[in-house]
Amino acid sequence: MAAIMIDKVAITYGQARVIEDLSLTIGDGQFFTLLGPSGCGKTTLLRALAGFLPVVAGRIMLGDKDVSRVPAHLRDIGMVFQDYALFPDKTVYDNVAYGLRARRMPENDIKARVGEHLERVGLAAFPARRPAELSGGQRQRVALARALVIRPTLLLMDEPLSNLDAKLRVQVRETISDLQREAGITTVFVTHDQEEALAMSDMIGLMKRGRLEQVGPPGEIYRHPVSSYVADFVGGANILPVELTAPLAAGRVRSLALGAATIDATVPHPLAAGKAIVIARPEDIAIADVATGEIAITGRQYLGDATHYRVKVGDGLSVAVALHGQGHDRHEVGRKVSLAFDPSKTLVVAE
Amino acid sequence: MTGPHSSRLDVWFWLTSALLMALVIFLLYPILTVLSTSFTGKSGVSGWAIFLSDPQYFAALSNTILLGLAVTAFSALIGVPLAYVAARFSFPGKALIAILPLTTLVVPEVIAAQTWLMMLGNNGLMTRSFADFGVALPSFYGWFGLITVMTFIYYTYVYIGTLAAIRGFDVQLEEAAQGLGTPPALTRLKVMVPVIMPAVLASCLLVFTLVAGNFAVATILGHRVPLLSVMTYQTFVSESGGDPVMQSTLASVSIGLVAAVLFLQRWIVSRGRHEITMGRGAKPKALKGLASAVLAFAAALIVIISLLPLATVVAGAFTFARGPVMQWGRWTTLNMERVFLNSPDPIINTLIYAGSATLLSILISTIASYLIVKKRNALTPILDYLAMLPLALSGTVIGIGLVMSFNTGWLTLTGTGLIIIIAYVVRRLPFGVRNASATLYNTPNSIEEASISLGVPPVQSFFKVVLPVMLPSVIAAAILVWTTTVAELSASIVVYSGGRETMPIQIFRLIDSNLMAQASAYGLVLVVTILIPIIIATSVFKIDLFASK
Repeated sequence: MAAIMIDKVAITYGQARVIEDLSLTIGDGQFFTLLGPSGCGKTTLLRALAGFLPVVAGRIMLGDKDVSRVPAHLRDIGMVFQDYALFPDKTVYDNVAYGLRARRMPENDIKARVGEHLERVGLAAFPARRPAELSGGQRQRVALARALVIRPTLLLMDEPLSNLDAKLRVQVRETISDLQREAGITTVFVTHDQEEALAMSDMIGLMKRGRLEQVGPPGEIYRHPVSSYVADFVGGANILPVELTAPLAAGRVRSLALGAATIDATVPHPLAAGKAIVIARPEDIAIADVATGEIAITGRQYLGDATHYRVKVGDGLSVAVALHGQGHDRHEVGRKVSLAFDPSKTLVVAE
Repeated sequence: MTGPHSSRLDVWFWLTSALLMALVIFLLYPILTVLSTSFTGKSGVSGWAIFLSDPQYFAALSNTILLGLAVTAFSALIGVPLAYVAARFSFPGKALIAILPLTTLVVPEVIAAQTWLMMLGNNGLMTRSFADFGVALPSFYGWFGLITVMTFIYYTYVYIGTLAAIRGFDVQLEEAAQGLGTPPALTRLKVMVPVIMPAVLASCLLVFTLVAGNFAVATILGHRVPLLSVMTYQTFVSESGGDPVMQSTLASVSIGLVAAVLFLQRWIVSRGRHEITMGRGAKPKALKGLASAVLAFAAALIVIISLLPLATVVAGAFTFARGPVMQWGRWTTLNMERVFLNSPDPIINTLIYAGSATLLSILISTIASYLIVKKRNALTPILDYLAMLPLALSGTVIGIGLVMSFNTGWLTLTGTGLIIIIAYVVRRLPFGVRNASATLYNTPNSIEEASISLGVPPVQSFFKVVLPVMLPSVIAAAILVWTTTVAELSASIVVYSGGRETMPIQIFRLIDSNLMAQASAYGLVLVVTILIPIIIATSVFKIDLFASK
C-alpha cells in the first residue's frame, strides 16, 4: 500500500511556481530521501507535505485520505527541523510531552510514553534540562523524540543533520535509521548530502529545478544514473565528452577514444551518432605504469584508505581516479600510465 | 526556508487589517487633518502664507533649529568622551556611570526643568546663595537655561549610542592598523572614528528631534525665546475652538522638520550598519595617578549633575514653603499630606490613564511586532511604517491632531479620559513595538511550525510557544512604556479636560504658579511611580531594560 501519493501537484513560493506537475508515490514504512542542491524545491515539497505551503494544483494523498486542503495541525505528521526548533523555555520533558498534551492524553500515560522515547534517544538522564543546556546532537535527539512520540502517520525531516559536525552527523544518522526501522514509520527526509542519502534511504528522489530527475533505490541511483546530472550529484563521477561516429545499440560494451585513452563502456540506451558523454566513477578505473605514452599523472592526494589521482589524457582532458586496497598509493606524480575502465560500470549516455 | 504566505487570508491577515484600521483612524486621520487644515484659511489666505509673512513664526523656526544644534553639540561634547572613557578605562567610581541611562527614564522632563529652576531660577537656592556673596548669576530663563537643562537630559542618548558602537568596534581592527606602523593616537582617529561615526551621528540626530519636539522644558524656561513647540501649544490654547489654521501650520512645520531629520538619521544608520564590525570589545585599561583622579572627578561631576534633579525633588517635597518662598532647612511632611489627603486626583488619574494605556499599548505592540516580524503579508509593511510614524510627531502635534479630529462628529472624544489614553498609546507606539520585537528576530519561525505539526492550531501555537519566548521583551516594553507614559506631558496637556489632570500636568501648573514645594511633592510621587516597576523588573525578574537599545 502506498503511504503517500503525490498527484500532479504544483506549489508556489511567493510569486514563483517552484514545483509544477510533480507526481510521486512513497511506499508504506519507506525511508524516502529527497536529494538535491539548494533551490531545487525539495524543502518546498516537504513543507507542502507538512501543510505549511498550500498546494495550488493536484493533490496529496496520505494513505487513502486526501490531505491537500487539511490544515497542518490536523495532518498528524511529525516534523524534525534543521534548527531543531525546540521550545527554548520548556524542559526536555515538556518539549517531548508537548504533542501528547495537545492530544489530551492523561498525564500518567504521557509520563510513560515520554520516558520510553527519551530512553530510546539516549536522553533519559536529562528530562529537566532546557535546550540551551544541551549539545547540538542532544538537541536533535530531543527533536526526534518529540516528533516520534506522537506516533505520527508520517515523519518529515528537513536537513536534520546539517547543523551538526561531521562525527555527530554519523552518530545521529544511525540513531535516526534505527528508530525509523524500529517504528516502521514512513519517513521523508530532505538533504543535499548524497552520502547521507545513500547511507540511510530505501528510496531516493533526486530533484533538479522543481522536477524529480530520478527515483530509485540508492544502488540504482548510484549504479545506473539516468543522466550526467544524477551521476555527478551522487557520488561524484567523471563526466567525459566523446564523439560517436555511428549510432550505438543498447546493451553492448563499446570501446571509445578519449584523448590518448581508450574507454570501455556499456550502452544502457540506444544512442544516435554525434556527441555523447561517458560517466565513469573514479573507483571504477584502474591505473598501470607504462614506459612511454601520452597519459600521465598530474595530481595525487593520499587519504589513508585510498589515494586520489588526477590523470591527464589529452589537452584540457583529465580523469579522476580513486584507488583502494593494497598499494593504492604506489603511483607518483609525473609517471606515464595507462587507464583501464571497468566496462560493466562505465556508462555512455546521451548528452 | 520559510516565507510569506501572501495569498492566504488567514487570521493573521485579519488581525493586521484590524490594527491598520485603528492606526488609520487614530493616527493617520488626525495627522492628515492637521496637514490639510494648514492649507485652508478664513479669507482664502492659507496658514502657509501667514507663516511666511509674519517674522515671529520664522523666528520660532530658526530658534528651534538653533536650540537643536546647540543642545546636540553640547550633548555630543559630554556623551562621546564619557562613552569612550567608560568603554576603555577603569577608575574609581566608574560603576556610577552605569546608572546614567536610567536617569533619563526616572527623571521626567518637567521635573528636570522644575528642579533646575529651584536651584538656578530667579528665586533659586543657588541664585540666592550667590547673591548673598554679591555675585549675580545670569538669568536662567532663555537660552542659558534651555541649553543647560536639555543638554543634561539628552546627552545620555549620545552616551548610550556611542558606548554601544565603541563596544562593538573590533579592537583587532585597531591592532591591525598599529601593526602597519601608524602611531596609536593617529590609529584611533583613522580607524575608530569612521567606524563609530554613523552611530554617534544617528544618536545626535535623535537628540535634535527630541529637542525640536520638547514641550516641557521649552515652555517652562523659554520665556522670551519664541520656539516652535511653545508657539504651537499657545496658538492652540488661545484659539481653541476658534481658527485652527495657524496651529495646524505650526504643527505641520514641526512634522516636516522632525521627519526630515529622521530620514537623514535612518539613512546614516542604514549606511553605517555594514561598516560596524562586531568583534571582541577592548578590555578597559586600569588608570592610576593623576589621569585616574581627573577622570573620576569629571565623571563624578556629570553623574552628580545628572542626579541633582532627583535629590532636589526629594528635598523640595519635604521643605516648608510659604507660597512661592521655599524655606530650605525647615522640614515638613505637609506637602506630602496635601497631595495624598487634599488632592490625590492627579495620582489616581495618572494611574488609571497610564495603566490602561500601557495595557493597551502592550497588547497592540505584541501583536503588531509579531505580525511585522513573523507574519509578513501585503499589509504588514504599511503597519510597520505607521507604527513608526509617531517618531516624527511631537506630543503637541499628536494632541492637536486628536482634538481637531474627534472634537465633534461621529466619534466625539474630547472631554473624555479615553482621548488621553489614545494620545498615550499613539505617542508610545514606536517605543512599544521596537522593544516588544527585540527577542522576536532571534526566534526561529520553526518553533511555531513545530508546535503546529504536533497538533496545536496556529493561534494557540502563538500563545503556547511564541509568547513565552517574547515575554521578557514584552515585560521590558511594558515597563518602558509605563515609565514614559506616566511622565508624559506634551500630548496629554493638549487633550485633557478639567478634572482629568495627571501628575505631570499638575506639576506643570504648579510650576507655572511658582508653587515649587507642592510641585516637588507630586514630583516625588511621580518618580516613585516610575521607579517601582523598574526596580521590580531588574531585581526580581532580572530583565535588562536596555537590551534592545
